[in-house]
Amino acid sequence: MRRVEIDPITRLEGHGKITIFLDDDGSVANAYLQIPELRGFEKFVEGIPVEEIPRIMPRICGVCPAAHHMAAGKAVDAVYKADIPSVAKKLRELYYMAHFIHSHAAHFYALAAPDFVLGPDAPKASRNVLGLIEKVGLEIGGEVLKQRAASQHIQILVGGRATHPVWNIPGGVTKALTAEKRDEILELSKGQLEFSLFGLKLFSDIVLKNKEYLDLITGDVFEQVTNYMGLVDENNKVNFYHGKVRVVDPEGNEILKYSEPEYLDHIAEHVEPYTYLKFPYLKDRGWNGFVEGMGTSLYQANPLPRFNAADGMATPKADEEYQKLFDTLGGKPCHKLMANHWARLVEMVYSAERMIELISDEEITDPNVRIIPSTTPKEGVGIVEAPRGTLTHHYWTDENGIVTKANLIVGTTNNNASISMAVKKAAEKLIKPGGEVTDGLLNMVEMAFRLYDPCFSCATHSLPGQMPLVVEIKSPDGELLNKISR
Amino acid sequence: MKTIVIGLGNTVLSDDGVGVFVARRLRGRLGSSVDIVEAELAGMDLMEMMKDHSRAVIIDSIKLDGEEPGTVFRLRHDDLKITPRLASCHDIDLGTALALGSRLGFHMPDEVVIYAVQAEDTLTLNEGCLETVESIIPALVDEIAGMLAGTPAEKISIDLIQRKNKDA
Repeated sequence: MRRVEIDPITRLEGHGKITIFLDDDGSVANAYLQIPELRGFEKFVEGIPVEEIPRIMPRICGVCPAAHHMAAGKAVDAVYKADIPSVAKKLRELYYMAHFIHSHAAHFYALAAPDFVLGPDAPKASRNVLGLIEKVGLEIGGEVLKQRAASQHIQILVGGRATHPVWNIPGGVTKALTAEKRDEILELSKGQLEFSLFGLKLFSDIVLKNKEYLDLITGDVFEQVTNYMGLVDENNKVNFYHGKVRVVDPEGNEILKYSEPEYLDHIAEHVEPYTYLKFPYLKDRGWNGFVEGMGTSLYQANPLPRFNAADGMATPKADEEYQKLFDTLGGKPCHKLMANHWARLVEMVYSAERMIELISDEEITDPNVRIIPSTTPKEGVGIVEAPRGTLTHHYWTDENGIVTKANLIVGTTNNNASISMAVKKAAEKLIKPGGEVTDGLLNMVEMAFRLYDPCFSCATHSLPGQMPLVVEIKSPDGELLNKISR
Repeated sequence: MKTIVIGLGNTVLSDDGVGVFVARRLRGRLGSSVDIVEAELAGMDLMEMMKDHSRAVIIDSIKLDGEEPGTVFRLRHDDLKITPRLASCHDIDLGTALALGSRLGFHMPDEVVIYAVQAEDTLTLNEGCLETVESIIPALVDEIAGMLAGTPAEKISIDLIQRKNKDA
């Protein structure tokens, strides 16, 4: 058996590694995603006053600190049974919309778009954001930076900090929004909407109108049939902050809808010996392995799964695009993994529209942004949608509010099994017996990983000690036959 | 234009936070002619932080195979060209970010120096470095402060290129 390893040693993700095992004839036997997960965070918070958790949890991740801040904020409110003021909910959601735009814009323009604009097998030196701006225009690069800076600035105006916020506290938030800041955010959010709509136009022009790329999306290399999870509002529309978790089966039938405290009744986690990252599955179906199709206990949580799990978007332009996505790709639910890129762009439009709704709300400058919790703390669960999937925080405390136990299911963990299966399928379809394992081909396999916008142990910042991606092909007895560094 | 000193890292992950701890100590040593920031950022955000500065000094942790914890490597801009592609699933690497900034017409630093401290542990949750890395911080602070003030102190860092030569 030969072994091919894709080893993305990166600044942010630690040491995630893809290992593909080949048979003697050179076809794919199996594929594994191995994650030395950042263990211990749940242990680390034991003994800490629960009101401090919302400012500690965002340090799990330098990529989506706002998601952890929001889930922690909601969980801590629940620990104190605090029904926070309506304006505090709106301010948190407003902050969070800006975070979604910031995160999704980075993923699409810096990471996803180069594969489509330059081509998945373009020379690696040009298949990046620099190649992208050479092809589509320098002004686009400037606009991406300008709008990402604007979404960061909106978070600072609302919550004081964009990275590692300290703004959510039990019972609400630490500061109200002034009328002056409201006016500034309104202006900025109009630009965010325009930018988000431009993203969809670009996607339409460069991807949907290009048969080769459309085939890549609709083909069977990047397809997977599972259950789908997402947070929905009372009308079953996609929501990132409020609502219940809804799960639909591969045919789109609702099979679960639960509120935050009930998550342990419905989600369980499977363990495999080769990785620290667990594999969540639907508890009442029982773990039935790495299988897809009706009856699987696996689910995905990400932009496209959110779309599959909902009945639409709550804002007009985003809803129009939501319908267009399903119409173009052959109906709902959609099992085409690459459509996550499209859904991500539609979610940017939703975020910008929702931002404008919230900032235009008369109540948004209400100074009563916090209630003082008065109940004895005990236990609470907070769930939000992180950009890369449903995020659950659960804390238990003693009567003094000191954390005794914590449990987290982070966005990417939901997709752990799905990512492994997607990588395996792409490898099986692309790596042929006797064929050369080229850089372009490996990039296609990596695209199956990248489309999830995955995030593992992402708080570690050490400089990469070697090339960001190493692929080793080994003989059955472990001899190194070939090594590709990129 | 000013020099910017950026301490990178996560202060709750043992040696990962070394860049931030060094930057904090430099703050008291250097005048207002130098901007000092602590960051847990990468790629595009880092590039925006560096623009409109004449020189950038970055302090971060590093994990190279077979190196002793506490060893300080000095990297120049050219060393970054070894990673022309993505170095993260979420962002572009520093070399690409600098090139992007220049291509978009920003004034990027003419000189970028990176001090990378070989870490022993960047995964265990701990609000501070382990002993070995902690012990080199004062000397590294002296070296960087001296370099920036034009009064060089004893140098503990080694150029990364020397390590590469050693391996070759």
